[in-house]
Amino acid sequence: MKRRTFLQLGAMTAATAVLDGCRPANEKLIPYLVPPDEGVTPGKANYYASACRFCPAGCGILVRVSEGRAKKIEGNPDHPVNRGKLCARGQSILQELYHPDRVPQPLKRSGPQGSGKFTPISWEEGLAILTEQLKTLQREQATDWLALVTPQLRGTLAEVAASFMRSFGSPHHVSFDLLSPDWLKLANSRSFGNQSLPWYDLAETRYLISFGADFVESHLSPVHYGHAFGQMRQGRDTVRGHFTYVGGRMSLTAASADRWLPARPGSEGALALGMARLLLADSLYDNAAFAANGLRPETLLKALERYDLPMVAQLSGLSQDVIVEVAREFATTRPAVAMAGETVAFQTNGAESVRAIQLLNLLSGSLNRPGGVYPDGGAMAGPENSFGDLLSLVEVMRRDRIRVALIHGDPVHAIPQTTGFREALARVPFIVSFSTILDDTAMQADLVLPDHACLESWGDVVPLSSGRDKAIGLMQPVVTPVFDTRQFPDVLLATAKRLGSRMAAPFPHESYLEMLKGTMAKRLGARSGFDSETTWVDLLRRGGLFETSREQGKGYRWVAAATVPAPAEPRFAGDEKEFPLHLQVYTSPAFHDGRGAPLPWLQQLPDPMSTVVWDSWVEINPKTAAGLGIKFGDLVEVTSPPGSIRLPAVIYPGIRPDMVAIPLGQGHQGGGRYAMGRGVNPLDLVAVKIDGEQPQPAWNATRVRVTRISEKGKLVTVGHPEGSFRSELIEI
Amino acid sequence: MTTVKVESAMQKQTSPYKWGMVIDLDRCTGCGACVVACQAENNVPICEKHEIAEGRDMHWLRIERFWVGEYPDVRVRFLPVLCQHCHDAPCEPVCPVYASYHNPDGLNGQVYNRCVGTRYCGNNCPYAVRVFNFYRHEWPKPLDNQLSPDITVRSRGVMEKCTFCIQRIRRAKEDAKGEGRMIRDGEVQPACAQTCPTDALVFGNMADPDSRVARLARSPRRFQFLEHLGTHPSVHYLKGGGREHA
Repeated sequence: MKRRTFLQLGAMTAATAVLDGCRPANEKLIPYLVPPDEGVTPGKANYYASACRFCPAGCGILVRVSEGRAKKIEGNPDHPVNRGKLCARGQSILQELYHPDRVPQPLKRSGPQGSGKFTPISWEEGLAILTEQLKTLQREQATDWLALVTPQLRGTLAEVAASFMRSFGSPHHVSFDLLSPDWLKLANSRSFGNQSLPWYDLAETRYLISFGADFVESHLSPVHYGHAFGQMRQGRDTVRGHFTYVGGRMSLTAASADRWLPARPGSEGALALGMARLLLADSLYDNAAFAANGLRPETLLKALERYDLPMVAQLSGLSQDVIVEVAREFATTRPAVAMAGETVAFQTNGAESVRAIQLLNLLSGSLNRPGGVYPDGGAMAGPENSFGDLLSLVEVMRRDRIRVALIHGDPVHAIPQTTGFREALARVPFIVSFSTILDDTAMQADLVLPDHACLESWGDVVPLSSGRDKAIGLMQPVVTPVFDTRQFPDVLLATAKRLGSRMAAPFPHESYLEMLKGTMAKRLGARSGFDSETTWVDLLRRGGLFETSREQGKGYRWVAAATVPAPAEPRFAGDEKEFPLHLQVYTSPAFHDGRGAPLPWLQQLPDPMSTVVWDSWVEINPKTAAGLGIKFGDLVEVTSPPGSIRLPAVIYPGIRPDMVAIPLGQGHQGGGRYAMGRGVNPLDLVAVKIDGEQPQPAWNATRVRVTRISEKGKLVTVGHPEGSFRSELIEI
Repeated sequence: MTTVKVESAMQKQTSPYKWGMVIDLDRCTGCGACVVACQAENNVPICEKHEIAEGRDMHWLRIERFWVGEYPDVRVRFLPVLCQHCHDAPCEPVCPVYASYHNPDGLNGQVYNRCVGTRYCGNNCPYAVRVFNFYRHEWPKPLDNQLSPDITVRSRGVMEKCTFCIQRIRRAKEDAKGEGRMIRDGEVQPACAQTCPTDALVFGNMADPDSRVARLARSPRRFQFLEHLGTHPSVHYLKGGGREHA
């Protein structure tokens, strides 16, 4: 630099410094050092529409992809189920895609069964092994020695699985989910002769009473009902919908309620009938509804004579005044709607209790009315007792009549031990798992043929509850597969081809994608001409097929032959003296039935009610805990007739003193680094066979006792353990 | 030459935007979708159990839970807490290196590459929404693929916080500028507001009296978090209504 330039620059700097002296430091310094808006230069990203298959709700998603990598998942604003919104779980399936412990390629067991020791093999070898096993069954005329266990599949995937099993010649296809709404289908077909799932018009209702339906966490379609709930509360200028919740534990859903009625477990159906009787006695029912459903109020009142107020109050443990008040509110606020949920259904008297709650909708004239309940637009036939199917399969496996078991999903973790599934599965000589991660089931497998992650897959996603309109979401790969994996239906197709022409006959398509295109074309073709390629691309771009026809389908109507709901006295496994507390297992908003546990975002997400992270816990009423000498965070042992587990205690003000609750989802033996060995699985406590009852999915009908072990529960909460006491500071 | 630069920067101190948020507690169900959305959008690291036990959770957005009353007359209240983007922010004047500053749109900015980790700002924040990188966090492969290229990954020793998803605001500004217009109401949303199932979180320009957020902020249910401290937050809450029966 020349001397002259240097001096010039020096003078300029000095002048600037003098000038700047008059200005606040903030303005002087920052412009030099901070480029406007931190120099953030947003990259150009592509958005791909797809669908979420994490839970059966089937929300539409948009995935932001930059540089060939998926970055962020958002709701698809055009999808009628979630309208651009998405829950914590749906956003986390990104971590399913990029999970560090995904199964990168097919694996063959190398250690003893259950040891988790595997050797990587090629797809060619994997398929050859599977085909050989199946061919042996064919040769020995023992095709019914094959079992297929999946979650409740819908759409094209369900067709592939069913055709595969049918053409192979095995009846043992069980589609079972711990939380599947079979109970709702059963109750609906008993009451209305129509098993279609209900769609509740929460957005338009003015009074909602939920009997254990936790629609914020998991009931039917959490995002859909979450959105509707927001509308119900503050979406209308002059109306604020009122919300009452009935259930022994204050769930996350109940936390948003105006009134919480901690009814005794198993008494909800009787409570609903007691309320129905009050409505009938005071002539607060909807006359037109009785005419429309072919019922007479007098006959019904007579049938419900037994459920008088003192008896119902005594059964439910609630005060008579409160029951009368709630019944009056429900009857005099129109429209009003009653929802029945899992907490009620998973009791021994579940099915009839659910029907009793449906009767309230009939009485208040809420069937097929705005602000009431409609049959879901995407109605599909489905199993009403998949639990029964599961138990029959367990029996068959126990008799060593299954030689090859194909398993999609993680039933070893998500089915209660007492069903005997785990032991029976151990007797099966050859187990194939299609898990993307070495979960509890894959750990038991002889062969692991890893499926694509959701974001790498093709598929149609039929939502469980799509509203009055029909919607079919379309899943497309948004990135190239990260690992050497193959989609489950494609593996079935390839296997069928290898098994010979007879087996391959039902699958004329080259691949699952071609088959999917065919199904979608059929769905469209019935209505309009089909110009395959452009229409297909258009469907993909929109994220599915959303039908907006407003024609009114056939609604719910009480069947003449339907009996008056009569919930029996609830029964519980375990003697009341020895096991004084009711156990409730419930879905946390993070893990669903346990499938969310491998994902670190969900593990780290504080449970909204307890703020616990990375763990399991048992919730105990403060009085009960004091009686047992248990403090917050103590390690306790929870014992039920079939088992016992140890976990930390959370003192929980929102639970009945005679009840404890444990969230589902933790306690995996496998599932990758984030889930493995973390927390406990409360399903180990659940009894399935209860004296005097058929085996049934009564997950909440077990009694337990709790004993303190030590103060070392190693519980970590984000919030203050006792809750904050400064709520007046924030004016709530 | 340098003088000119200062003046242009001075002119930028005024902006037609004053970003703000309204959180309707009557809609909020506490589901946690916003918490994950924020973590996903902003490269917020995954914290292990022991870190959270030490009080070193890194979530930029948390949901406070309040128990009120005793069984059976017990209630729960949720309060989503994120950086309140105060107009008189206690965090700003204490930073010795001007890493925390106020931007013309009314946001509390944080310049990561200038932060030296004194944590004065975090100590001074009454809302406890600033989080510090006590540890070096890793994204085991291939989990690192999910990291957003729009935002830096903060290293150990740096304070970080909610930015109202400034990368999204920036993108919307560029789009708007290209078309020679202002950002439309609802065009830009932070990840939390975008995903909120119940629409409890609403984001927008407070300087526009017709924007949805400004209209909601005129509700009689409105209050601000620790309003008496005089920090003048950009976040307004709407009281949960009803619930008279406990």
